[in-house]
Amino acid sequence: MFKSIAASVLLGLCLSAHGQTSDDPWADMDDWEAQETSPFSWAGFTELALGRRLKSDDVIGQNTTLQDARLQLQGDYVLSSSKLSFRGDLYYDGVKESLESQIREWYWQGNLGFLGAAGSHFDIKAGQQVLTWGTGDYLFLNDLFPKDYQSFFAGRDDDYLKAPSLSVKLSGYFEFANFDVVITPEFEPDNSINGEYFSYFSPMTGTLIADEFSVLDSNIPADPEYAIRIYGTLAGTELALYGYKGHTKLPEAADALGNPRYSDLTVTGFSAVRAMGSGIGKLEYAFYDGDDTTGADPFVPNDQSRFLVGYEQELISNLTGSVQWYTEFNHDYEALIANSLWPQYEDEERRHVVTTELRYLALQQTLTLQLFNFYSPTDNDGYLRLRGTYSPTDRWQISAGVNGFYGDETYTFYSQFKDGSNLHLAFRYFFEE
Amino acid sequence: MGIKSFYSVMLGFCAFLSASTVAQDIDVDALILASEKAAYYAGDDGRSNARMIIVDGQGRKQMRQFTILRKDVEDNGDQKMMVFFSRPADVRDTVFRVEKHADVNIDDDRWLYLPALDLVKRISAGDKRTSFVGSHFFYEDVSGRAVSEDRFTLENQTDTRFILKAEPKDPDSVEFAYYLVEIDKQNKLPVVINFFKQDGTNYRRVEAVSVATIEGYPTVTRSKVTDLNSGGYTLMEFRNMDYNLGLDDGVFSERSLRTPPVQWLK
Repeated sequence: MFKSIAASVLLGLCLSAHGQTSDDPWADMDDWEAQETSPFSWAGFTELALGRRLKSDDVIGQNTTLQDARLQLQGDYVLSSSKLSFRGDLYYDGVKESLESQIREWYWQGNLGFLGAAGSHFDIKAGQQVLTWGTGDYLFLNDLFPKDYQSFFAGRDDDYLKAPSLSVKLSGYFEFANFDVVITPEFEPDNSINGEYFSYFSPMTGTLIADEFSVLDSNIPADPEYAIRIYGTLAGTELALYGYKGHTKLPEAADALGNPRYSDLTVTGFSAVRAMGSGIGKLEYAFYDGDDTTGADPFVPNDQSRFLVGYEQELISNLTGSVQWYTEFNHDYEALIANSLWPQYEDEERRHVVTTELRYLALQQTLTLQLFNFYSPTDNDGYLRLRGTYSPTDRWQISAGVNGFYGDETYTFYSQFKDGSNLHLAFRYFFEE
Repeated sequence: MGIKSFYSVMLGFCAFLSASTVAQDIDVDALILASEKAAYYAGDDGRSNARMIIVDGQGRKQMRQFTILRKDVEDNGDQKMMVFFSRPADVRDTVFRVEKHADVNIDDDRWLYLPALDLVKRISAGDKRTSFVGSHFFYEDVSGRAVSEDRFTLENQTDTRFILKAEPKDPDSVEFAYYLVEIDKQNKLPVVINFFKQDGTNYRRVEAVSVATIEGYPTVTRSKVTDLNSGGYTLMEFRNMDYNLGLDDGVFSERSLRTPPVQWLK
């Protein structure tokens, strides 16, 4: 029922969308002045998205990987030197067969200048918001803000890779450096692969499973998360230091009964970005300091060092290429293997991932083609993302893509999702005041 | 040859002489610097609302609406620029930051802010003669092509305009063989630029459609660029221009990408 309503709403919007035609090409400028006087503005879109598995998954038994009928609305109310912002989604998820909603943004953002001259150095953004920092493309080292891998793997728009959190961000700006402090009072984990859309490897059974697990309330941390970034530019290089105190964003640890839980985690790191040759070079490091200092506790992840270097440049007009080399070093590896319940399934001591990306803009930038490949030489597996987006008008956009997982073993990171490889298609219709 | 035609030849010759005398009097280098300053460096800083209507060869329309903030590091030199998009819906709140370097050997620094991801992305330097946000304007038409990249000669002049021919010093870096720029004698603004291929085909035109004096500065309020091959064109209109606002350097930083300075955007 809901699906047919959504479809007819979508159709109606499309039919009413025919533009006004006029002999005077400058006539389209006429409605401009009226819009600018209002402090309130809004926009939104409706979208239908479908995804199918490329081959069947015996564990899940459902070939649909994406079936969304979505409405997103956003609005801003601009005050004298601050603004209120809202962005919310209402969608029917045909895979889960349920009506879902998500408030992605609902915050106040402004300057503290009203507190006096010192206040003008500070901005605050408080409320439901999406947060991102760090230098990696689709790889995150010092960015511990929540992510939604289920959406990413299913082929939803890139926007949905980042999940919102209810946080307060205080930013300070000074001559030598700037800083951000983010406090998230209630722990916000990643939306990981949990058997709803995709099956995953269970070391306990040694096979792929699709048990829809959830973490017990008693295993969800009650304390806040803290994140800090101090950054500035020195001789043309953008430098940043990062810190995080909270918990693993995936339920990688287990309690005494074997139930998944989020263990304590502190992350410290740095990054540097600068122009190099005719492109951009970047480097980032993060140290993941967990609860298991000796590596001997099989129920808690070991400490880890993460390192990334990358380079991006325009290869020819409208075609940009980039490469990243990313590595995870598992500390106390001997102790990890000696104490592991399933040493045969553990990561290598050093897990490497190489990514390559090509991005091409064509047809006066109305067509965007993207190829992004993750390849791990140590796991001998990978993940290929292909996506094309075509939008010849302001009103609609059509996109299609492939998420292809490959690899030798069933237990390595990308390879476990092989049965989740999918093809997806979406039509989005935009509207605004 | 009758006496009449002799006179007219003489007259023509004299006219030619006087024209070339005037030509010798004109310092082309000074003229293009004055023109560059008038077109891209009015005041010490400025703001403007802008709307573009993009019409492709098949008549399909797109719109882009944005606010530009600009600050000059020095006249005819480096510049800082912020572009805040408000329309259409899919680019709403996207922000583009540029640090333009007048030295042609140093690439401009560019950043993009994507609001839905809260992502600040450093963008690698690209071909400046590719579309600016899907329009027929090139990135370089908006930020200004450094006059040091071309060799200028005075081609002709009318009562109101100087017509200069510009040839690229590095022909491999651009798609044109040369362009003719018509500069208004009074306000020094380039009012028409026609781009040509080697065979003399005029394939692209940029024009100032209307000009107004704002706070003492002659300012282009409407401009148009036409792709003469496809028939596609882009119209751009500027409104609510202000100069010499005293914009702080801090406005042109990552701060404004993530927290738009709303007092300058209204």
